[in-house]
Amino acid sequence: MHVPDGFLSPQITLPAWAAAAPLWTWAARRNFGTSSTESLPVVGSLTALAFVVQGLMIPVPGGTSAHLTGVAILAILYNPGVAFVCESLVLLLQALFFGGGGFTVLAVNALAMGLLGPGAAWLTWRALRRLSERTAAFAGAYVGIQVATFSVALVLGLQHRLSPAYMPVPFAVTAVAMLVPSLTVLGVVEGLYTVATLALLRRARLLGAR
Amino acid sequence: MKPRDLVPFLATAWLALPAAAHEVTSEVARDRAVAVRALAHDGAALSDAVAEVFSPSSDGTPFWQGRTDRSGWVAFVPDAPGRWRVRVVDAAGHGIVTDVDVPAPGAADARQAPSPGPSAVAALARPLAGVALVAAIFGFLYLRGRKTGR
Repeated sequence: MHVPDGFLSPQITLPAWAAAAPLWTWAARRNFGTSSTESLPVVGSLTALAFVVQGLMIPVPGGTSAHLTGVAILAILYNPGVAFVCESLVLLLQALFFGGGGFTVLAVNALAMGLLGPGAAWLTWRALRRLSERTAAFAGAYVGIQVATFSVALVLGLQHRLSPAYMPVPFAVTAVAMLVPSLTVLGVVEGLYTVATLALLRRARLLGAR
Repeated sequence: MKPRDLVPFLATAWLALPAAAHEVTSEVARDRAVAVRALAHDGAALSDAVAEVFSPSSDGTPFWQGRTDRSGWVAFVPDAPGRWRVRVVDAAGHGIVTDVDVPAPGAADARQAPSPGPSAVAALARPLAGVALVAAIFGFLYLRGRKTGR
């Protein structure tokens, strides 16, 4: 799902950095101050788990593969700001040490996969949690990954319109190639992952998991 | 022989000219092509992905456009020395942009070492290293928080 380095022009990456930078500062100050120290072990464990699941490629229809994000659980347990900072950290480590994604596109990937996706997951969770916690968690994760996927497809499509030299594949092709696997496979697996992780944390009554 | 007797021969020769103009020959050259393979980090080939090759003097117009083969390879024959750029992207946005140095004819062949393919050890080391880095960062934040919180 990550946009790789070299596929987006500065016309897109610079505004994304300008939007993400103050949001990173605000979210980090709000959620990672001294008052949140007790929740750090759980947040750190879920972030490490997100790093691992983002490296597990799942075969999807069309002969390609895709991966989970694993950060909807952070938005559901805490808030979208925590998910945003943690996903950004995962993306930064991938870009710096593992050749995944990239530094110039970091803000775009972080906004799509770390903020818009988890934000949608959190809103869905809040709307449905009175009905059933499991259903709400599943639906939240499912909707979250669709929003993240669509956001990435939209950005790639916008880049194609601005300059096909950066992204030669048009939006219609990208959107179908990304959303079909996401709607049919990824959303379901992300939902199951989120429900299972939530149940495990509840059962273990881990400190920090609200 | 009278000149008018030559007319059928000249006409036949003239009609054969277009056939000669449509002739196509082939040339097989070995060790001239540059091949780049696009692989996902799990080792899966990016097959049938859009591929573009840009020459060192490119103004943004690709020297070559096409698709990777079923094993994820792009091959092209550079016509000038310098730094060539290869871009591969599949429909889902996965891709690479990589540079290939092509030496001048006669220059010492400073071939780029092939990058090691994904191995089982690398596949295991990657998540472990990532988990260790995340644990180190959060461990530091936790210890600092405990210290300042006292």
